[in-house]
Amino acid sequence: MNIVVLVKPVPDPACYDRIEIDPATGVLERQGMPAVLNPADRHALEAALALSERFGGRVTMVSMAPDSAAETLMEGLAMGADEACILSDRIFAGSDSLATSRVLAAGIRKIGAFDLVLAGNESADGGTAHVPSQVGELLGVSHLANVTRLEVGADGRVEARTRIENGYIEVEGALPMVVGVKREINTPRYTSLMGVLAAQSKPVRVWGACDLGIDAACVGMEGSGMRPGRLTRPEYGRKGERIEGSPEEVSRRVVAILRAQGILG
Amino acid sequence: MPDRQPAIWVVAEQMPGRLAPVSLEILGQAGRLASEAGGREVAALLLGHGVGAFAEELLAFGADKVHLVEDPRLELYQNDTYGAVLSKLILRERPDVVLFGASAVGEELAPTVAARLDTGLGAHCTNLGMRPDGTLTMGVLGFGGRVHTEMFCPSMRPQMASVKPGMFQPPPRSETGGKIVREDGAVLLSDVEIRLRTVKVVREEPEGMPLEQAEVVVAGGWGVGGKENWRILTELARELSGAVGCTRPALDEGWTAGEHTMIGTSGKTVRPKVYIGVGISGSPHHTVGIKDAGVIISVNSDPRAPVFECSDYRVVADFRKILSPLLAEIRRAKGPIS
Amino acid sequence: MPELKFTQQQEMLRKAVREFVEKEVKPVARRIDTENHFPADLFRKMGQLGFVGVFVPQQYGGAGLGQTERAIILEELGRHAAGFAMALMTHHLGVEAILAYGTEEQKRKHLPDLATGKKISGLAVTEATGGSDVAGQLATAARENGDWVINGRKCFITNSSNAEINVITARTGEDAKGRPAFSAFIVESGMEGFSPGREEDKLGLRGSSTGDLLLNNCRVGDAYLLGGEGNGMRMALALFTKIGRTGMAAIGLGIIRACLEEGVKFAKERVLYGKPLSKLQAIQFEIAQIRIDYEAARLLTYHSIALREGGAGADAEIAAAKYYATEGAVRAAKRTMDLMGGYGVINEYPVGRYLRDALTTISCGGTSHIMQIIIAGQTLN
Repeated sequence: MNIVVLVKPVPDPACYDRIEIDPATGVLERQGMPAVLNPADRHALEAALALSERFGGRVTMVSMAPDSAAETLMEGLAMGADEACILSDRIFAGSDSLATSRVLAAGIRKIGAFDLVLAGNESADGGTAHVPSQVGELLGVSHLANVTRLEVGADGRVEARTRIENGYIEVEGALPMVVGVKREINTPRYTSLMGVLAAQSKPVRVWGACDLGIDAACVGMEGSGMRPGRLTRPEYGRKGERIEGSPEEVSRRVVAILRAQGILG
Repeated sequence: MPDRQPAIWVVAEQMPGRLAPVSLEILGQAGRLASEAGGREVAALLLGHGVGAFAEELLAFGADKVHLVEDPRLELYQNDTYGAVLSKLILRERPDVVLFGASAVGEELAPTVAARLDTGLGAHCTNLGMRPDGTLTMGVLGFGGRVHTEMFCPSMRPQMASVKPGMFQPPPRSETGGKIVREDGAVLLSDVEIRLRTVKVVREEPEGMPLEQAEVVVAGGWGVGGKENWRILTELARELSGAVGCTRPALDEGWTAGEHTMIGTSGKTVRPKVYIGVGISGSPHHTVGIKDAGVIISVNSDPRAPVFECSDYRVVADFRKILSPLLAEIRRAKGPIS
Repeated sequence: MPELKFTQQQEMLRKAVREFVEKEVKPVARRIDTENHFPADLFRKMGQLGFVGVFVPQQYGGAGLGQTERAIILEELGRHAAGFAMALMTHHLGVEAILAYGTEEQKRKHLPDLATGKKISGLAVTEATGGSDVAGQLATAARENGDWVINGRKCFITNSSNAEINVITARTGEDAKGRPAFSAFIVESGMEGFSPGREEDKLGLRGSSTGDLLLNNCRVGDAYLLGGEGNGMRMALALFTKIGRTGMAAIGLGIIRACLEEGVKFAKERVLYGKPLSKLQAIQFEIAQIRIDYEAARLLTYHSIALREGGAGADAEIAAAKYYATEGAVRAAKRTMDLMGGYGVINEYPVGRYLRDALTTISCGGTSHIMQIIIAGQTLN
């Protein structure tokens, strides 16, 4: 079984508090923020590794990212992926989710035949959750998002559960398929020492627009329907009166506030 | 082709039994955008089987027109049938704007349609606006709610957006007429390759009060420190007949009732009368979900926790010293029998 | 001279270990200490991830890396659970004894299970007559009908109650100058005449069992003699340096880092006189001192290990690292406890455990006095 896992290096979510917007240029400042594998992608990778252990085959990571991303993708190779393909080109910059999906689809086509494409449902920084559905549409195969349970049969039959508010949907389909998984689908394995060692010698390919045969007009800013405007920092300011005193004094004050709001009568 | 008056479309969502609340919320927004643009037609799209009553509801909540598509194959949602039908209707009628609720279904359906139509899509928008020239402005949060970006789609049409549930209030109900256009589901599905099969849709009503309806929300974060400590939050919520919410870090640690109790950018938006946050630092991811709460009381031992910047009342203390006396005081206030 | 810099592989290793320790060990660290509970399930999991057999060659089931990687693992583990790290540290003594001095048959028989964490080992040299007085051992092993019969009592042996494979030294005769000669033996738990004795209730480094081993006419065949007759003393001393002291240094370093991280966190969060504690110069001085100890211990530890890996004896450097990292851990823990005020002596906070663990490291692998004797000896020669 040939499985592709779409991964995205994102600035470490633990550092999002440090993100600043330059007031003069309105541009995002994220210098010096370490990059990690998008947390949801590790769950996608785990699902891929579990399936390849059952059925045999290769697990290939594909990422649209600058070529410095090789270091972050090593994490995935250490977890057990067989190889990584980085799709990197200056003209990809500024891509919205559909343009990104075009690049990823081109990368997947270049890798060759695939049975399953897995992706984390959304990325920690942008969080559009569009990519799995749009890559599926562009590749012309069936696709599912918000998947919390995935069963694949040897005959290629797929049974999946997708989460909705207050419930779930049971869906049937068949490979080939693109699946966006939620984090609750599994617990990613720990990286072993052996994995760290093996990662060093696994192939990491870098492909640009020319290698992918992709038209500049359909990627990057030029190929994106969406345009970003002003960036601002959302402010939800409130007056913040401090309640001081002993725990008993604080409790009495809080009860008074609750009373004033009509709670506790 | 005669010039059509640009319309604003709302894709309504019906889960077996009822219209999703977010459908009414975005219908209200469509009405507002229509009047900001100087008067436009607002049409709702409803797909399903035996859902005529919901079409009437949509008219009552402000739709000028409802395109109703019924077919047994549309009874249960799946992205290939719904995606195909919506795309065809949009291509035929050419609305200027199409809005989806960013529910789990909308999160999948909207990008599916956007890819088919080769147009842009604003995701999980927290606000919408209409410029005089007809450009839709879409407010989108990123980096865990830390950055707000105004997005727009200058040249592709339709302009599409999915809207975060709970950001807006539903419009008032009024019987102002409007018409239901019955589309031929069989024709719309005739040449569609249906590869998926939705077997069933299962509703699991969570125990306890849904967060969105609670008058009091007690929320816990990373600072709570453990599952045992979490119990006192549950007790507090119960005494106040409220609901318990959480932040992403607490959810990840496994202390909470589940993802449906997470409040934040990628979780629920709540509007209780009183919100009590415990051990929550106040990352924008979470605070965007409570920004419209009535009164916000935050308890955190770190005096510089960002949460205090958006709280009405700050209690700088170790919650373990505060919550037990608070519970006792609440019980005392409720009287001898409680 | 090049800076001390870890390779990308070593950084990835550290990250992988840290993730495991934070998710699996940190939540049970307090319980390991209060209940003196050895988390055998975590030891096995670590074995499966390759962390236990880090320096065992791949042909015997290990990862085939070196002492630097081992130290990284001990540092990361020691940061949250120094007692558990101590058990792993000691396990490595037995592992290296077999790896460096065993026959091919002994290696193939014992190393795979030890490398993967299925079995635990220990090294038993110390007796009531003293730990540093290696030549004063009273345990004997006498030749009898082609076997060895071992008698004696070992004390303060870590992993005493749970090690399946014990490497034990005993007196087997005299050398050419009439001085006692010692040999090492592999003794497996369950063998007749061998049993763990009383277990000690330690002040710190709890979570690893430390106690007596009793040998009462314990009979073993020639296949259990390790490293050849008469080599016991030489083997023990080499193991103490290469594995014991380096390991203790790494654990001490982990404790210093724990104190630094907890101290900084507390100083930033605790508010006194309307400001965080970190604004007060007195507190800043304490933090600076802990930082200095951390940087120095880190360099001494990894540099001395690198020297040894490169072929130098590095006895003095390794002793200096052990001395500095463990004494530094005691200082760091006391400073952190002081800056935390009342909270420092509340057991809910880990700093009390850090101090107890640090104090206990002083007497493991040779006391600070012994370290100074070693350093002076090498310096004055």
